[in-house]
Amino acid sequence: MSILKSLWILAAKDLRIEYRSREAFQTTLFFAVLILIIFQFAFDPGSKATLEASPGILWVALLFPGMIRLNQSFQMEIEEDSLHGIVLSPVDRGAFFLGKFLANWVFLALVGLASTVAFVVFYNFAPSARLWWLLVVELMGLAGFSAVGTVLAAMVAKSSSREVLLPILIFPIVIPVIVAAVNASQEILLRDDLNTLGTWMQVLGVFDVVYLAAGFVVFEYVVGD
Amino acid sequence: MWSATDKIRLRQAERYLTAAKVLAWPAFLLILAALYMAFIYAPRERQMGEVQRIFYFHIGAAWNALGVCFLAVFIAGILYLWKKRRIWDHVGASFVEIGLAYTTINLTTGMFWARPVWNTWWPWGDPRVTLMLVLWLIYVAYMIFRSTMPDGEKKYKYCAVFGIIGFLDVPLVYVSIHIWRTIHPKVITSEGMALETPMIMALFTSMAAFTALTALLFCLRMAMRLQRTVVLERLYEETV
Repeated sequence: MSILKSLWILAAKDLRIEYRSREAFQTTLFFAVLILIIFQFAFDPGSKATLEASPGILWVALLFPGMIRLNQSFQMEIEEDSLHGIVLSPVDRGAFFLGKFLANWVFLALVGLASTVAFVVFYNFAPSARLWWLLVVELMGLAGFSAVGTVLAAMVAKSSSREVLLPILIFPIVIPVIVAAVNASQEILLRDDLNTLGTWMQVLGVFDVVYLAAGFVVFEYVVGD
Repeated sequence: MWSATDKIRLRQAERYLTAAKVLAWPAFLLILAALYMAFIYAPRERQMGEVQRIFYFHIGAAWNALGVCFLAVFIAGILYLWKKRRIWDHVGASFVEIGLAYTTINLTTGMFWARPVWNTWWPWGDPRVTLMLVLWLIYVAYMIFRSTMPDGEKKYKYCAVFGIIGFLDVPLVYVSIHIWRTIHPKVITSEGMALETPMIMALFTSMAAFTALTALLFCLRMAMRLQRTVVLERLYEETV
């Protein structure tokens, strides 16, 4: 089986499970919206300070709930012991990684899209064509986050303390994503020109490529045997 | 009695202890020399005054943390995944510990230097400070992760993977913080540090002293790890 085909089958399987239950989608999205609202209460609601901080708040609302999803993504494989089935099937480990990554990425992107709508409403942004750029930045940032997160989630999946371990492992690594994505979002939402948007997107792009390649190579050692 | 593998491990441990004994004297003398160079030989910096002398230890620790220890963790991780030999896990784990100690030294000395010179404990705008902070976070995470895993091949594999993933982050963190800094208004500049020749001499002595200390600590940690492996396996057998 070619890598493309097996990765597609694996990703489609995860997304189909999610589509049929919609359990994770609802809870993750609800958590994201809660974060957006809690930050309004934590600062002065509707003030200028909150507006200035809003790109950062958006990214907290994208990544923290995203972590829960990453933790779940291997949990369901372990609970019914389907992980063994996948490992025993003639699927390349790199394809397994890409399939899991793709499912996580699509999931987080959909939650991100819905949260962005809530974000625009609660933070009073004018719906403009610029928001398309915001979505592109979100897709790129979430890709890097999912790539690192998929490897790390597989590593902590069998640990009893995985709920705390995953955030501890993932956030130090994704700091470049947070810096680049928040700065890019800030420029899109709050500045007049888009001078440095390209630079930040380059940083995100390099991060994505580095960690997709690394995940593809090392996943073989993370699952299996 | 000891098994054949036990004997090999204990012999290896002995070798590391011998190396440590050989290294101890040069390391001690180099540290004395570095202290002399930093506090007496190097001239007093005109603007910053005595506090500038922290710089020699600050850079010595930074160089060893990033250029020696964490690079070694990365290489040991690759070698472990490739060769599957336990010794590379010992190497990686030992270097994480030493590198983390140096990162802590670097960050704390930096804090005490930055307060009088830059008028702030924590210069968030400086890419090097932030890089060291992120490194500190990554390898503390490594240690926490390590401590939650039971001994076994899985633990060594995962730690190797995390050591590789963590080190790949170094250029990305640096570049992203650097761009961030160049965009934001510069509150702090690190210029005005043109070094006199005696200062450069003191700096190199300090770096050499720290490197000798790294080698010494590494040998001690390796010996400890090898012996502990033997003891733990004995204990395990006796309880089963």
